[in-house]
Amino acid sequence: MRLYLSALQFSLFVFLSALPLLAHAQQRFTLSGVVRSAADRSVLPGASVAVPALGTGVTADSAGFYSLTLPAGRHQLAISFIGYQSQTRELNLVKSQRLSFSLPEASNELGEVVIEGTGTLEQKLQTTQMSVEHLNARDAKLLPALFGEVDLLKTLQLKPGVQNGGEGTSGLFVRGGSADQNLFLLDDALVYNPSHLFGLFSVFNSDAIQSVDLYKGGFPAQYGGRLSSVVDVKTRDGNAQKFGVSGGLGLISSRLTVEGPIVKDKGSFVLSGRRTYFDVFTRQINKLNEDTEDYNPIPDYYFYDFNAKANYKLGEKDQLFLTGYYGRDVFGFNSTGGFNFDFTWGNTVGSLRWSHAFSPKLFLNTTVSTTRYQYQIANKLDQFGFSLSSEIRDYAVRSDLDYLLNDKHTIKLGVSATNHRFNVGRLSASSTDGSLNIGSETVYTGQEASAYASDNFKVSDKLQFDYGLRLTGFQSGTDRFAALEPRGALRYSLTPKTSLKASYAMMYQYVHLVSNSGASLPTDIWYPSRLNVKPQRSQQVATGVSFLLGQGKYLLTNEVYYKWARNQVDFRDGAQLFGNSDLDAEFLFGKGWAYGNELYLEKKAGRTTGWVGYSLAWTQRQFPVQRGSSGVNNGKVFYPTYDRRHNITVVGLHQLNTRINLTASFVFTSGAPTTLPSGRFLLQDIFGDDVEAVPIYPDRNTYRMASYHRIDLGMVYKLRPKHGESDLTFSVYNAYNRRNPYFIYFEQVRNKETGDVTNFRARQVSLFPVIPSVTYNFKF
Amino acid sequence: MTCLLPLTYTLLKSLRCGAVAGLLCLIFTGCNLQKDIDVELPAVPSQLVVECYLEPGQVPRLTVSETVPYLSSPTPTLLTDVSVVLTLPSGQKEAFRFTPGLDTLTQKFFTHKGKNPLVAKPGDTFKLDVQDTQGRHVTGTATMPALVPIDSIRWKFNDKSTEERRAYLLVKFQDPAATADFYRLQIHKDSISKDPNRDFELDDRLTNGQLMTLGTSYRYSTNDTLLVTLYHIDQPYYRFLQSVNDAQNANGNPFAQPAAVRSTVEGGVGVFTILSYNRKQVIVR
Repeated sequence: MRLYLSALQFSLFVFLSALPLLAHAQQRFTLSGVVRSAADRSVLPGASVAVPALGTGVTADSAGFYSLTLPAGRHQLAISFIGYQSQTRELNLVKSQRLSFSLPEASNELGEVVIEGTGTLEQKLQTTQMSVEHLNARDAKLLPALFGEVDLLKTLQLKPGVQNGGEGTSGLFVRGGSADQNLFLLDDALVYNPSHLFGLFSVFNSDAIQSVDLYKGGFPAQYGGRLSSVVDVKTRDGNAQKFGVSGGLGLISSRLTVEGPIVKDKGSFVLSGRRTYFDVFTRQINKLNEDTEDYNPIPDYYFYDFNAKANYKLGEKDQLFLTGYYGRDVFGFNSTGGFNFDFTWGNTVGSLRWSHAFSPKLFLNTTVSTTRYQYQIANKLDQFGFSLSSEIRDYAVRSDLDYLLNDKHTIKLGVSATNHRFNVGRLSASSTDGSLNIGSETVYTGQEASAYASDNFKVSDKLQFDYGLRLTGFQSGTDRFAALEPRGALRYSLTPKTSLKASYAMMYQYVHLVSNSGASLPTDIWYPSRLNVKPQRSQQVATGVSFLLGQGKYLLTNEVYYKWARNQVDFRDGAQLFGNSDLDAEFLFGKGWAYGNELYLEKKAGRTTGWVGYSLAWTQRQFPVQRGSSGVNNGKVFYPTYDRRHNITVVGLHQLNTRINLTASFVFTSGAPTTLPSGRFLLQDIFGDDVEAVPIYPDRNTYRMASYHRIDLGMVYKLRPKHGESDLTFSVYNAYNRRNPYFIYFEQVRNKETGDVTNFRARQVSLFPVIPSVTYNFKF
Repeated sequence: MTCLLPLTYTLLKSLRCGAVAGLLCLIFTGCNLQKDIDVELPAVPSQLVVECYLEPGQVPRLTVSETVPYLSSPTPTLLTDVSVVLTLPSGQKEAFRFTPGLDTLTQKFFTHKGKNPLVAKPGDTFKLDVQDTQGRHVTGTATMPALVPIDSIRWKFNDKSTEERRAYLLVKFQDPAATADFYRLQIHKDSISKDPNRDFELDDRLTNGQLMTLGTSYRYSTNDTLLVTLYHIDQPYYRFLQSVNDAQNANGNPFAQPAAVRSTVEGGVGVFTILSYNRKQVIVR
């Protein structure tokens, strides 16, 4: 057993000594209830319920439930949520009571000037939580999107501190963390591979999603298992009032959602599906060319996914939530050489949550979930067949207790346990005549458990702490690991409009992504911590200052962070990652550092909303000489490919009138580091008349490509159909047709007549030119 | 392992690029998404490059060149100040002569040549020493692997019309159980002086001691004359071949990590190995 005790004594001391033991003389009562959408009665997690005069407020939990303890007397409540019209309500509090709110949607046909969301900025100023980005699916749908495909993860890439892994991809690289260090949760169930089409689209269908919270640092104690970020995705509950159908027809895919009440005001459901149709076009192209000599058919490719959610109120105190996701990517082709290749991959996710309120101050959420990511490659040639597959399957249970002890303390306690099954590679080769029969399979199991406790302690109106401790453990076979992860955050209100914040978080990651591609691929394998594969660890400190400006319409935030990590994972040059029963030997371990400054100005009220972000950041890695290997980059420090020095994003949304929303976004990032061969040599080989140039690579990622920038423009035009609602969403991606660098390669220039090599040259490849698209959306 | 495995690995490596490229072709046919750019590459000192494949019964030949900046002129420089010494298993040293020329059998250019046909049997170890007047010094050691004979070569035609009728080829051989073994299979059409039609290397990690089956897709026509060569190679040469492939694939693949070439020699770049192969000729009919 390896116990990581760093900061243990300090954390325990702080935690135990600060446990609430205070009595209160003044009479206080608890106000609690649920914040819902007036349109469809769905709950609004993250909605703000505040008493501005007292400078206090709370955020609704994942069930839309809020609870606020206030002194007896008259109060003016402000209820707000992004995308909804704020409400104010007078209240004379003489006893503890339930009071629920319904917020109308902000944008509607009546066309009044929309005042929304000022309370959310106030709430953001007041909370101890820093380094978090909240995104509502409704906002994301207004923004211009590549191929018109709304993608919440790509919208998150427009926030400071978040990089993409390459043009158009949905991978997230948060504050110097790699793509496998993000915890993707879909209604509390883990999603291992969040992308379709090799990372170009995320698995999160915006029609099924309510909101996404991205934690970049200052991680609350209830989250763990990944080093760099938490992407907490909440799905919609569905319309509890009436049945409805909505959907869209886009350039590359179509979507359909059905929702409605199970029992009116007691439960609702939503079913959402989408499918791409590249294959419809490619099959036609192949058919047209089938008589063409030497024509290589375009492979079939499509993806589809389904989301399902149901909730049912068992009584005043109990509610059940059932979530399911099933998605597959399918890729296949039949070569002219008679070789069939079929490749499928995808996630299957399910969760069932029971929410129970013991009292207006004590809630319990218990979730059982399962997640499975698998890929399978099946090849066939005449009588011979070959298949390669991998799978990770988890069963998990977690229980979270929220106790609003008094108006100074909110306690959170929780436990979780997960059973992992890693099938890191199953190979089989066979022939129908029995002359060939080879099989290989490597399976590991792992058990992960955690327990946490945290307290949000409001010391005074000015000072607030959130501190906690998370105990985590992992075992795989006879190898066991355990660790304590202290977490802490504080907020000090310098003035009613200015907050200072600071946070610290330690994170452990016990499962590792086996990939040497530098990008997330469907064939990536997850691997457990074992004797020679230690858990990854990171620590992050961050400080920030927030200013509420312009009568609360703007929030200006500046954060500085420093993150350091150990046991970062890479692989030996030429590592054999497929069907390797001794994968341990291929790992390399190193250190990582990331630091930077993020400046963020956002506006959420009025006809014009949006944000401006700027980050200045450094990310470094080092993998020293080890285990018979020269490490990575001969042990020298290097910048990973997702290191970007400067990153500027500007996002604007403007409601021109009742029917037209205009949107625009601008992105600028410094050039990505890459490795170009510095030299070459000629290799003749044993036989043959060709001589090949073999590149020699210098230190890793020492060359910077040209900077990246583009503007996207969008317009949502509301139609006036006889029934229901519909709109046309226009997008122009890369509006000024910038040829952004995607990668650079060197090629030989040959004399067309003699075939002799006359020169070598460098070529820059761009991925996406200007791409206009239109999507038709409907709802009835 | 079956014939499909190497092809599958290659496909996986190029899959994402291919899929993205396919999607782009579909949508932006006609868009020019590439352009020439100027890049400034760091200057690195040039190293000696050695390429030497010893073969029993053949007079040893060796090619010495040097690494050059990637974007420099493609015209190679002939190094005239290099001395080469081969140490035989007996300890006897044989200095190679500097006699640049073309090997008519292999169609390979060489710079240095031994005196006598090589005498070698499996297990014999040779040493190579290459030096120039600038102080660059490359050394290498290689042991001749045992011969692994080809057990059988078979083919089967598809059911298509005469013009499209093609056969796949299956090559079988017995892998020795006692050792970790590495192979290279080359299939030449008509003559070994041309580039091979199929060429891949593999190990016996998953198939140790078994009857190995390697093959191709439907690609051979009636009356094709095929020269099938099975090399039993040592691990350093296997790693060298793989690393050369990886290095070449990394140029132009945004998802590949740049890979260093793992030479079998020290002090420079290149390969020194002793060939142990079994070759059979078949006419597909």
